[in-house]
Amino acid sequence: MRSESMNLGRKLACAVLVLVLAASAAANWLAPAGYARQYRDATGAPPSRAHWLGTDEIGRDRFARVLYGTRISLLLAPAAAFLSTLMAAFIGGLAGYLGGAWARIAMAVTDLFLSLPWLFLLITARALMPLNVSPLVSVLVTFLLLGLLGWTTAARVLCTTAASLRSSDFVRQARAVGLPGQRLFWIHVVPNLKPVLYAQFWISIPVFILSEANLGILGLGVAEPMPSWGSLLKELEGMVSVGEEPWKFVPLILLVVVVTSFQLLLSRQEEIAA
Amino acid sequence: MAFDTPQNDTLLSAHFSLRYADKPVLRGVRLEIQRGEVMGLVGQSGSGKSTLAMTILGLLEKKRAHAEGSIQFQDSDLLQLSERELRTLRGRSISLVLQSPLSSLNPALRIRTQLKEAWRAHASGTNSDCGNAIRTCLESVSLPTDDEFLRKYPSQMSVGQAQRVLIAMAVMHRPVLLIADEATSALDVITQSEILALFRALNRSTGMAILYISHDLASVAGICDRIAILHQGEVVECGTTEQIFANPQHEYTQRLMAAMPRILPAGPSIQHKTQAAATR
Repeated sequence: MRSESMNLGRKLACAVLVLVLAASAAANWLAPAGYARQYRDATGAPPSRAHWLGTDEIGRDRFARVLYGTRISLLLAPAAAFLSTLMAAFIGGLAGYLGGAWARIAMAVTDLFLSLPWLFLLITARALMPLNVSPLVSVLVTFLLLGLLGWTTAARVLCTTAASLRSSDFVRQARAVGLPGQRLFWIHVVPNLKPVLYAQFWISIPVFILSEANLGILGLGVAEPMPSWGSLLKELEGMVSVGEEPWKFVPLILLVVVVTSFQLLLSRQEEIAA
Repeated sequence: MAFDTPQNDTLLSAHFSLRYADKPVLRGVRLEIQRGEVMGLVGQSGSGKSTLAMTILGLLEKKRAHAEGSIQFQDSDLLQLSERELRTLRGRSISLVLQSPLSSLNPALRIRTQLKEAWRAHASGTNSDCGNAIRTCLESVSLPTDDEFLRKYPSQMSVGQAQRVLIAMAVMHRPVLLIADEATSALDVITQSEILALFRALNRSTGMAILYISHDLASVAGICDRIAILHQGEVVECGTTEQIFANPQHEYTQRLMAAMPRILPAGPSIQHKTQAAATR
């Protein structure tokens, strides 16, 4: 009974993600206007037939901005997850395989990164850059910052996995066959790191979605007028009453639903891995 | 200590000690292997059998394991060779087959890829050359050579097949010495006897010497020309199989022989069997 309901939950999560991804991909056709188009005669308007989620305080259609913002956030998070997983594979995987002083140095650097206040570091690094950057540059900077600072936990896992692979029977057997070190790493270690790399990649996506949202709320994420979930949530800063304008919570609800859906699907992956 | 006289056609002559930090693991080990012979190395778990095999192949971490002495093999001292020099010998002149066939093959790679890698470690040529070499070595261990088999992953094979793949990989470059480290211990008795017969056949057809490491005296008796007994890091006795089994000299060898299972005559009660076992 429990497994059936879990199954249903996962199916629902999968459907939600497919729907959200499809809607964001079709933003050009679904949205009534571009994300930057201003309706100056309808600023701060409530939902209507023309503007399903109303407009923001400078008259931009909120539904269009949610669709385009979803596209940015859902592209940005996997890209950052890919970069951080790649770095973790390179730093952690190689250090674990080489062992000895290499592993100690790499893990000392990882420990240092892990002990730094992550969000504070992100804010500082982003604040060091000019605020008036173009929207595209801000997207790239946010993606690079998240990717370059988010590799540490994955690197630790990969270091341990690579170290255990190094002392495995099949690597010993391959050494006995006469394979050189480089070949051993690429042929025998990397293919066996893949399941861990996939898991780390998927686990990182919801983390980076939330990190981007945090940066956006602080005004340090994707620059205006380009929307992202973070910049859309910034609108909630001045909210006095939840009941007055509940439609403003749609980006927040969407964020929670998408992250929850990811978590539900990830729990399935963990079950398979176990 | 009883040792038989070394012959002229010595392939490997080892006399060395090994310690991990301050802990001695092998003490003044003396071992000689003649060309084309099957040498047995017997001892209980923890006596240093695998460490000895790994030392010969130079597969121990040099920072942790300190070896003193020499292992003469084909005009060179293996203990003095660099990692690069050892790599040219591994798989080409000295091969290894480990105990657990399924964990000794990479679970993420197809059999074809693993055999290809073993071939490319010491040979270069076209894909067709590689394919021919793979076919020949698979045939020599009585394994199928078709595409369907080569596309398999280790998990899709039986333990016996996996062990044969490992042996095929080990004999691919026609080494002069094969080290079988407990290579039949994880196998059922029928597969074990098949693999022993295969070792014997390869030994006879290629003239390859085998260092057969095992704690199973029955399998050692069935395949080896000579036997060395390793006890607490020392080779305490070495001789022909007949000598060791018929007239063991060292007290530990005598205990080993006494511990071999024997079929008691039919009839006695369980109590009698227990008493007989206690007095042996």
